[in-house]
Amino acid sequence: MSRLIGPAELDLLAAGARLLATGASESSSALVRDWAASVIGAGVELVAAGELDPGTWCAAVTLVGSTTALSEQLPRGDEPARAVRALEGRLGRRAGAVVALNLAAENALMPLVAAAALDVPVVDGDGTGRVFPLVEQSTYTLGGVSAVPLAIAGASGELAVLETAPDRVEELLRPVVLAMGGWGVAACYPMEAGELARVLVPGTVSRLLEAGEKGAPREVAAPFGVRTLCRGRILAVEGSSGHGGELAMPSLPSSIVVQELEGLRRLVRLEAHNEIVLALADGAVVARAPDQICMIACGDGLVVDVDKAEPGLEVEVMTVTAAPVWHTEAGLALGGLRAFGIRL
Amino acid sequence: MTVAELVEGGPLAGARMYGAGRDPVRQVRIVDELAVFGTVAPHTAVVLIGAAAAGGWAVEMAVRRAWEQAAACVIAPSGGLDEGSGEALAERLGVTLVFVDEDPLVTAVHVASAASRPEAARTQLVARCATRLAGDRPSVRRVLGVLNAELPGTSVAFLDPYGDHLAGRRATGRGRDGWTVEVDVADADGATLGKLVAGGSSRSPGWPAVVRTVLELALAPLAAWAATERLRAWQDFTVQEALAERLLTLPPEPAHHGPVSRQAAPHQVASRQVPPHEVARQEAAREEVAREVAAREVAAREVAAREEVAREEVAVREPGIREGVSHDPASHDPGSHDLASHEAASHGAASREAGLPRGAGLPGRRGGTSSPTPREEPSGAEEGAYEQVTDEVRAAAAALGWAVRGPLTAYLVRPAGGRPDAVRARALIAAALGPVPVVRRGEGWAGWSGVSPDELAVRLRRCVESTPWPCAAGAGAPVGGLGAAEESLLGAEAAAFVAGPGTVARADRMGPAELLGAIPADALRAPASVVLRPLLAVDRDGTLLRTLAAVLDEGGALKAAERLGVHRNTVTTRIERIRAAGFDLEDAATRLALQLACRVLLP
Repeated sequence: MSRLIGPAELDLLAAGARLLATGASESSSALVRDWAASVIGAGVELVAAGELDPGTWCAAVTLVGSTTALSEQLPRGDEPARAVRALEGRLGRRAGAVVALNLAAENALMPLVAAAALDVPVVDGDGTGRVFPLVEQSTYTLGGVSAVPLAIAGASGELAVLETAPDRVEELLRPVVLAMGGWGVAACYPMEAGELARVLVPGTVSRLLEAGEKGAPREVAAPFGVRTLCRGRILAVEGSSGHGGELAMPSLPSSIVVQELEGLRRLVRLEAHNEIVLALADGAVVARAPDQICMIACGDGLVVDVDKAEPGLEVEVMTVTAAPVWHTEAGLALGGLRAFGIRL
Repeated sequence: MTVAELVEGGPLAGARMYGAGRDPVRQVRIVDELAVFGTVAPHTAVVLIGAAAAGGWAVEMAVRRAWEQAAACVIAPSGGLDEGSGEALAERLGVTLVFVDEDPLVTAVHVASAASRPEAARTQLVARCATRLAGDRPSVRRVLGVLNAELPGTSVAFLDPYGDHLAGRRATGRGRDGWTVEVDVADADGATLGKLVAGGSSRSPGWPAVVRTVLELALAPLAAWAATERLRAWQDFTVQEALAERLLTLPPEPAHHGPVSRQAAPHQVASRQVPPHEVARQEAAREEVAREVAAREVAAREVAAREEVAREEVAVREPGIREGVSHDPASHDPGSHDLASHEAASHGAASREAGLPRGAGLPGRRGGTSSPTPREEPSGAEEGAYEQVTDEVRAAAAALGWAVRGPLTAYLVRPAGGRPDAVRARALIAAALGPVPVVRRGEGWAGWSGVSPDELAVRLRRCVESTPWPCAAGAGAPVGGLGAAEESLLGAEAAAFVAGPGTVARADRMGPAELLGAIPADALRAPASVVLRPLLAVDRDGTLLRTLAAVLDEGGALKAAERLGVHRNTVTTRIERIRAAGFDLEDAATRLALQLACRVLLP
């Protein structure tokens, strides 16, 4: 049962994708939305993975690098198509559909741009059910699909195809992204539709379309449930340690102390490493990765990035439950606390 | 051992503690991962190392787990957690959190040794207190400082025998579980100096006993301190007394001021020509000069003690000097001042030959004390040396903040019961009256002040109200200068005699009624009856006694007859009968005695 994502649906998807996403900047979100709007024409077909012929060859499309860099170095417009084409050339197969790696803000729209350029449908679902900082942190990986070969296209016409051991993707990718100016569009996780149906978190695009409707509750965007940990005021933002020095994460660990404003008035500590991975209330664990923990500003209802948190800000701390596969042993190893260097 | 004891006086000394630290520490557990907490027993000091101390989040989780396990405290290496947040959580959960700078493993060993043998740790504490208390120059401040610093979670105060706070930390509110320890402090002769009172809220058993032991260690230094202080105070007052007596016997300064009297010149300018609003400013300058001169001259003396006293006195009593002169309107009255100067000059001239040697000899008479005896020179013989001595005495007095010229008013404070402690009485008088000499005079203490009689009376009232035993005080009439001080002193003495306990009488406000009111009628009643017995024997109805009183009071038979409402001849007849009883009314002494006796016997 396919449906069309036209200009109206695009706006809904863009709005829904920002509800629980961190790291989204206003200008880059608008940019990618306009980019997608300019290329989708009447619309892009949205299909469930099961509706495709199981032998259809698919690729995941995602933005890598910094969204700030994206809004400073504008895209040429052909990056998603070039990346997918490069992967096609490498593997000698033609892509029959594209799928999102995750659906956080800009990343929800990037497959639309690719699909419009390649004239293929977009698969309803994604590879995380939430967002993780690393390319290999996906349900695809958990399902045994390799992220490589991976093709990445940059705004100045650069193109690179990476073939590595699966656990070295991030290591090679990061310097390439830097060299490209801070961002690129990657095509990765090449697989057939039958396999994709097995490993993806299904239906998430439809959900965001629903959640993007005006007045829709935020919970709709969270397929596996969301709960509010507390409402509070940020008391302090501190540097943190003890996350394991060997860990190669894009940003430094920090710690946000929130004083609950009501109820027990607990002292909530949010331990962040690229994203909030652990929440303590009066020293007791109340939430942890792989569930997603985010702060929503009480003022404007937008997600507060870890690096934008400042004392005095009133926030609502929410936990978005991750897909069940993340709570398996393999899932915890890939996206749980240990993956962020915290040994509990 | 409680956590507070460990931190404030034990192996954790110097560590930063957040929380009350009241829990006793029975054992120590080194924790390197949070899973270990499941087996932590209550009253355990948990020392975090490795992953368990890896970051703020780890320490917070440890604090939480410690709370769940009822551990005594969490000891973490500093730097892991922002201490502000740690404090907030420790306070919230009521768990004591201690940050140490040294290797946590070393800390753990020390804490374990202290916890397993609390007696050893306490013995160490007592030994350290003993060493510190035995340090040089005991003073009440030092002793109390040591006690309060060394006894964790304990306030120690020193109270005088009247219960007033003298030094140390006042015991804070004593809670339900609070305790106090009191130890009496006696001087070398066994008389009570006061008591040491310690209090706290530590629930550690045996701690009050340790506190008592340490307080008892402080008794000897306190007794030594008291003895030193008394000696010093006694010497101070001896010195001051000698100085005061010398001042009283000095010849007055010349009416016209030459270069000789160095400190006098600015003062004269201030009091004669400068309008009052200028005076305060000049006063400051004058004090500066006076202090300098005094310090230089005093330093030249060979007795170091004197120097110390003078400087201290100046430092303490400066405000008094300013007040004494600038607030006194009389000091701006050139007429009275001149008169006083002349008077004093003539008085001084008369006493110059005889008076000065006597004055110079005064301190010597008190021989045996270490009071600074002015150089023994035949000062009367050489004018220069004589002037020098005069200057020195005045400078010393100025350094003490005493009024040495200008209008002044004498006072006398007289004990009216109890057994006053002379040193304390003098200290109280000096404290209440400001910079004044305090000299023993009869049963009481006397001196003079430069402040106005009104102000002096106010201060005297404050003084008699502050003495722990009943006292009465008198102020003399204001006089022009030191030369007439004796006159004012006599007035003050009389006034003090008239004043009742706790009150102040003023000679300049005192009339015959006040004097008569002061007659101790009870004491005189028996002697009066004896004196008048011959008369009373013949005076059946009291007529003769009333007539005698009327005649003596009215000064003659005529007026007495009017007062009594009888004929003059009746009065004359009665006088004859009185004479017949053996009373010679022509004799002035007899007349006075009889009048006094009548006043005592008649209602």
